[in-house]
Order: sequence, then structure tokens, then C-alpha cells
Amino acid sequence: MRARRTGTLSAGAKILLILFPIAAALLALGIGRMTVPPKEFFHAVANLFGGRYDVSLQTEKVLWTFRLPRVLLALLVGAGLSVAGCAFQSLFSNPLATPDTLGVASGASFGAALGILMGLGMAGIQLTALVFGAAAVALTYAAGSGRGRGMNTMVLAGIMIGSLFTALVSLVKFTADAESQLPEITYFLMGSLNGRGFSTLALGAPPIIIGIIVLWLLRWRMNLLPLSDDEARASGTNITALRAVTVICATAITASCVSMCGQVGWVGLLVPHACRMKFGSNHLSLLPASVCVGAGFMVIVDTVARSVTASEIPISVLTAIIGAPFFIVLMRRTGGWQL
Amino acid sequence: MILSVENGRFAYSGGRTVLKDICFEAGSGDLVAILGPNGAGKTTLLRCIMGFLRWESGRSLLDGRDIRSLHTRELWRHIAYVPQARSVVAAYTALEMVLLGRSSRFGLFAQPGQADISKARAVMKELGIEKLADKKCAEVSGGELQMILIAKALAAEPEILILDEPESNLDFKNQLLIMDTLSRLTAEGMTVVFNTHYPSHALQRAGKAFLLSAGGESLFGSTHQVVTEENIQRAFGVKAVIGEIETPGSIVRDVLPLQVAEAGGSMTAGSGGRPRCLAIVSIISARNDMAAKVNALLHRYNRYIIGRMGMPYPDGGVYMITVTFDAPEAEIRALSAALNLLPGVDVKATYATDAFRKEEKQ
Repeated sequence: MRARRTGTLSAGAKILLILFPIAAALLALGIGRMTVPPKEFFHAVANLFGGRYDVSLQTEKVLWTFRLPRVLLALLVGAGLSVAGCAFQSLFSNPLATPDTLGVASGASFGAALGILMGLGMAGIQLTALVFGAAAVALTYAAGSGRGRGMNTMVLAGIMIGSLFTALVSLVKFTADAESQLPEITYFLMGSLNGRGFSTLALGAPPIIIGIIVLWLLRWRMNLLPLSDDEARASGTNITALRAVTVICATAITASCVSMCGQVGWVGLLVPHACRMKFGSNHLSLLPASVCVGAGFMVIVDTVARSVTASEIPISVLTAIIGAPFFIVLMRRTGGWQL
Repeated sequence: MILSVENGRFAYSGGRTVLKDICFEAGSGDLVAILGPNGAGKTTLLRCIMGFLRWESGRSLLDGRDIRSLHTRELWRHIAYVPQARSVVAAYTALEMVLLGRSSRFGLFAQPGQADISKARAVMKELGIEKLADKKCAEVSGGELQMILIAKALAAEPEILILDEPESNLDFKNQLLIMDTLSRLTAEGMTVVFNTHYPSHALQRAGKAFLLSAGGESLFGSTHQVVTEENIQRAFGVKAVIGEIETPGSIVRDVLPLQVAEAGGSMTAGSGGRPRCLAIVSIISARNDMAAKVNALLHRYNRYIIGRMGMPYPDGGVYMITVTFDAPEAEIRALSAALNLLPGVDVKATYATDAFRKEEKQ
């Protein structure tokens, strides 16, 4: 299922990539502290479309009110962070770039922490996170852009602005009430998909979906991102505008992910890398692959997080524990990749 | 399609003026070599010509239209650029890289279709690199990489090809392969402009040369008038001799650098010898596709021709043309140089050393 020369995926790879997140999502709906047997699960699904099977109210509530939004959230966040990571890696021609490279995630985290400190509700927290995520990128841009400065200056500025906002988060924690607010902030920042309903999705999903769609449409042009300035311009593309659109989309996606479920580390680094090793660097195949693998991976990680132990394991802990060994095996088997 | 520059002037912000009074014109079938010492601004000149840098004054024109007024995608359908092969994205395969060159041929949100893939493959085949299609750019040699980059540029089906030091850092054979490719493209009617560190390549391949000196002076004209021993010393600060090496088929001009010397002084077009001179130019070629070009060139010099004989020799698979001229020596040299640039055409000129001596004495 290796990517073919022209960068398009083979039919087999396409089917596997599409089935992966769907299968993961269906399994995730059935698995948990209350296992829903396949038969009952299918009955419940049939009921949605007008079937008249006998399914307990409890099962229906668990499936559609608790698990469905959570699974959808996992799909979105996984796909979003992977695409954002992939975009930033190509944009900066840097294999170490992550969705947080421009300080977006740190800014959004600060916004969320501030929201919790001010005692805002979930919607309020989401909004402050989005606003500060965007503010962080704007600051990075102001600090790092300018005539004749390369993309590396931008990365450095991003690291600085990111650490600035990380420090501000610590400041917020310091001032927070140690009994109630501090644990809430800490748990939020460790990343969790727990207790997010459709209302959270209503605000958080559109930026992610729009961002992914725009980058998807531009997937061939994204191949020009790692080229030198002159080379990219000589391809008849407005490279400045392309970079700006890429940054805006990736930023919106990342900020929105953080606003819904805190910082989920590693996905944005691991998934695009794994996809590059397997499918090559051509975004025609890399981008769709990142979307599917990221979405499926996140659902699996979240399902493990909520069902292995009695209390939930923070999601970032698991992404690293599950992701790192998998990544290392893949890296050793494929010989890695270069930008 | 004619690419030209009118009175171009450029300075980096706050710095000294790098380029001034740049005038330049290249049309279909022209191979233009840009020469100059390190730091004279050769790459800057190319970047200004293509609009990557903005001329402080003056402008670049494509068929008389300011290139700034052209839409980017439109502009890059006519012009293709091959930058120095220093930083290359290694992760793409050769075919993916070549396909990137097609980007100006379809819309922003579109993907390359089957026609684009076929075109990319055809270009690679033409350049003899179709076997590299699936190789990663990181895994090929320097010469192969340069060919891939040229293929990428040609995939856009341009009328004008601009290259920045395409043959630098390559061995003998690869330099020849690149230069042969450029000669062939020019003979097919493309306009090719390239930066080079080798005056020999300009002498042997380019009809026109643009010489930049470290002081910002420049000279543009026929190669044999621009690349002279005097101008090489003025621009490069190198004392050099230009010699002629006779091969069975032609006479090749070459530059031999002797020693470092004082640079400076203004560059002037070489006079090119006696004002009136008799010469016989003999041409042999097996390439029928070149016959029309040979005739077109000769036609331009019609008024100087005093005798002409041409005959095909089917047994030998060649045709032969002998032309006798009564013309300024510079004109005859220019014509034989131009004929020499055509691939597969053997040319030699014999000059009558004693003719018109009486007249000169009177």
C-alpha cells in the first residue's frame, strides 16, 4: 500500500484509510465501562432510523448522549491536529514542527486557564481559548516577520511567544484557588475529552472542519510549501498568500482543538510523521492519510483512556505511551524520511 | 516571445547600487550567457529580470508588456526558472518534482491530471531521465538532480527558460549534458538565459553574452564582441587569452586564465578585426532539420555573399554548403559562431589574409 509515484493512493490504501476511523469509532461506541453488545448496538442504530427494537433507555442514553459526541470530538481533534502538524512541518521544512510551533496551543491554553479562573462556563472557556490562540499567532507573526527574514525567524519567534504564554499559564495557576480552580485548570490542560457534549462541538467543530476542508482543497499546492521562495513563486503560485492561508487554517484548527479538550500532545507530530514514512511527502496522499489515521488513532487513544482504569487517564499521557513505541518501530522499519 | 530589460537599476535597501543601466534583450532561439565575478550580482540580475526583486527604476518586459502587469500564473506559463540546486526538497520523487512544474497549468484547487502526468513523463524521457521517475531526489547524483530541475521547468512548457548556474559543481560529462540540452532547446526555438562561471561555455554555446563587472558596469552584445581578453580582465581581474582549438569539424574558442591582474576600466565591445575581408565558410551537416536554420542564418548575411554553392550528398548522408563572403571580419566571425552553435553542424571559415591589402595602403 505504498504511495505510487504520482502521489495518489492505491485503491487498497484508500479503502483501508477510510475504514480505519469508521471501524475505530464503531468499536469505541460499544466499548467502555458499560459494554454494549453488538446486537444491542445495531438495534439502537436501527432505532435511530425508525426501527422498533427493544433497547434499554440507559443504553440509548450512554450511546447517543455520552459516547457519540465524545467519539465525534475525538475524530475531529485527531484529524485536525494531524493536519495542522502536517501543514506546519511542510511550511517550515522542519520535521520537529508541531501544531504548537507558532505558540497557538500555548496561547489557547492560557485563554482556557483564564476562562476557568474567571469562572466562565464551557462556552466562555472555548471563546477565550480561541481568542488567545489567535492572539499568540498574531504576536508571533509581528515578532518574526519582516523583509528578508526566513521561516526560521518565525519558528524562533513562535518558541518565544509559546514560552511566554506557558509562563502566563503558570501565573494563572499561581493565582487560582487551590481547592477548585487549580485542579480544574490542571486537568483541562492535560487534555481530556470527558464530559463534552454536542454544545461544545457546536462551537468548536466549525473552525476545525473549515480548516481541514480548505487545506484539503489546497493539498496539491501544499507541495510547494517546502520549496525555496523563488522556486515556489516560479510555479505560478502566490506563495505568500498560500503560506498565510496555511497558517490561518492550521491555527484555527489547533486553537479550536485546545479550546475543546486542552492540550493533546504528540498526535500532531506522530501521525504526520508516520504517514510520511508510509505514504511519502506528496500532500495528495499525505493529507488524506493524516486525516484518516489521525482521526482513528485519537478515537483509539481516547477509548483506552476512558475504559482501562476506573478513573480516566489524561489523554496526552496515553498518546505518548501508545504513540512512541509504534513510531519507533515504524521509523526503524522504513528508515525514516527527510524533508 | 521577447524578454527585455529597459534601463534596469537595482540597489539592496540601504546598500550600494548593485546593478545600473541594465539593458538586455533576448528573443526566440537566443542563448544568452550572463557572466561576472562572484558577488557582481548575477543571481540578483536574474531575480530582477523575473520580478522577484523590484527594479528601482526601469522595467522588465515580455513582448513589450511590463511583467509586473501580468498575472503570476500567466507569467509563469511563458517563463520557467531553474534556481541553483542547493536546497532541494529531498523527500519528493523525481516525477513528483517534475509534476510540481506543471502547477502553473491548472487552477489553484485542482490536482494534476493524466495529461499532466504524461507531459511530465514525456519531458523526462526527452532529457533521458525517465528511469529516475520513482527515485527520491535525495538519492540521485548532482547531474541527475540538475536534469530533474530542468525537466521540472520544461514541464511548464515555457517559451523562455532561465537558469542560475546550471552547470556549477558538475563534472565534465554532466556539464556537457546540460550544455547540450540548452543548445538543443535553443535550436528548437526556445529562449534560454543562464548564469555561468565559465567564459568558455559562453564562447562555445551562447550567441549573446551579458558581462557584469564587480563595479556594477555591464556590457551586452554578441558573445564574440563581449567576451574578449580585454573585457575579461576588466570584469574579472584576470589576465586571460582566448585561443582557438581546431577540431575535425569546427574551430572551438576557449579561454585560458593566466594570472590575476588589476580589474577595472570600462568594458567595450570588441572591434572584431578588419573592416573588409574575404572569407570562405564551409558547412557540412547530416542534420536535415538544421538545413532551414542554416539557410535562414545565411539569408541574413545575403548582401555580403559573393559566391555560394550548396549540394546534398545522399551517399554520405550529408549536405555541404560553401559560401564566399566579402564582409567586415566581425560579421563573418559572428556568422560562423552562430552556425557553430547549431547542434550537428560542422563549420569552418578560411580568411584571405592578403586580400584588400592594397586598398588599405592607399
